[in-house]
Amino acid sequence: MARFVTVAKADSIQPGQMIKVEIDNFPVAIANVGGTFHAFDDTCSHEDCSLADGDLVKTAVVCPCHFAEFDVRTGAVLAPPATVPIKVYPVRVQGSDVQVEF
Amino acid sequence: MPTIAIVGASLAGSSAAATLREEGFDGRIVLIGAEPQLPYDRPPLSKNYLRGVTPFEKTLLRPADFYRERNIEMRLGTMVARVDVDKRSLAFQSGERLDFDQLLIATGGRNRRFPIPGIDLPGVYDLRTVADADRIREAMGRGGRAVVVGMGFIGAEVAAAMRQSGLEVVAVEPFKTPLYRALGEEIGRVIEGLHRDNGVEMFLDDAVTAFEGAGRVERVVTRNGRRIECSLAVFGLGIEPAADLVAGTPVRVDNGIVVDDQSRTNVPGIYAAGDVANHYHPVCGRQMRVEHWQNGVKQGAAAARSMLGRGQSYDEVHWFWSDQFDANIQYAGFHTAWDRIVVRGSLSARKFLAFYLTEGRVESVVAINQGRDMRRTFPIIKARGAVDPARLEDPNVDLRTLAPATA
Repeated sequence: MARFVTVAKADSIQPGQMIKVEIDNFPVAIANVGGTFHAFDDTCSHEDCSLADGDLVKTAVVCPCHFAEFDVRTGAVLAPPATVPIKVYPVRVQGSDVQVEF
Repeated sequence: MPTIAIVGASLAGSSAAATLREEGFDGRIVLIGAEPQLPYDRPPLSKNYLRGVTPFEKTLLRPADFYRERNIEMRLGTMVARVDVDKRSLAFQSGERLDFDQLLIATGGRNRRFPIPGIDLPGVYDLRTVADADRIREAMGRGGRAVVVGMGFIGAEVAAAMRQSGLEVVAVEPFKTPLYRALGEEIGRVIEGLHRDNGVEMFLDDAVTAFEGAGRVERVVTRNGRRIECSLAVFGLGIEPAADLVAGTPVRVDNGIVVDDQSRTNVPGIYAAGDVANHYHPVCGRQMRVEHWQNGVKQGAAAARSMLGRGQSYDEVHWFWSDQFDANIQYAGFHTAWDRIVVRGSLSARKFLAFYLTEGRVESVVAINQGRDMRRTFPIIKARGAVDPARLEDPNVDLRTLAPATA
């Protein structure tokens, strides 16, 4: 059953930054876009690269391996070579904790 | 209703077709491809498709519905024999004709073959299409030792994929290092180390002079007198532009089809994009022909906009990647020569950016396992001004602050 899992302290992810966390051994990326947190599959849908190792350009995450781009809010593909969206997860901040519904 | 014909249904051609519809073109689009498959992505062919990790369906650039929904007529498995420039008509090999108002040529390239004795023996392969990859995979299934002839990008990727599939791999390369022409000796040695550490045996400064065998390749003979027993051989010796379609027409051909920075040939209404197009690059101020994935996507799209009268000068920083073992290698820029290489990061850890400089200017950048920083170098390359090498080298200096102001 989905529940909110604490993944990080809110002040540990600066605006424009991403981190990779594991929830139930599953890699999830957390991005801070201007103070709003977004959570999404860390593994690019194109090939096995970590999106948190990539670049965050406004609301787009750019995969470091082949420059596929996704919208961190919806998971939609913004640029190839990826053709399949990534999954996004609800996020909330409870006190100083960033929590992801997983 | 105007008709746009696109010859070549790979990356550039399909990108152009998609862009034409995105831009609102409601005339007829006919996308003609020599291969029977829907447009697919070629990079996996020398990597995860060859290893059997990625199925073919996953390499399709777009699902079949995409073309149907957008009323893009697909003529696959179709060879075009001729183009009649005056009558604006294509003749298919079947004898059928197709009249067009505008034509985009995106025929890509074909593999170079050298007249090496025995190159036509069964068991000797080259790689361009999924059918080629399937033949190599079948041969890989027999196991044994594979010889890779030429350690350019395709050769190096195939060597890695075959090694990862458990074959014994021996590579023969005429230059001092793998990828020597593209990356030079210093970075080429890093690639050599990558392959040796992963068990690829390499004979550098040597060349294959014959493939031998009774009815099937059994060994490769080299200039330095080596005789390498093998069960298959794959050669990757580069491509040449597939520009025959316009041979004998007024369309100018010189190392591919010559186009301006908006994909226009010298003949109005006829355009070219992708590997076949020798295009004018406004940042460098010269013609160039590149064989990169990104150029297929972007120049195809740019050509489509140009055909609709909405063209803009195509000034992309050319970029490509290569995945070999655990190394993600990326290249951006335009170097043909350089006088200095500045490294940010560690060559021995195979995690770095290498800047190729000419007279203090960054001509191109190579990244190994450092893709995050790559796009931040594009403005530096594009600005074409001198950059302080000490700041390029210092990992604590944010690359986004380094682009010299353009004049």
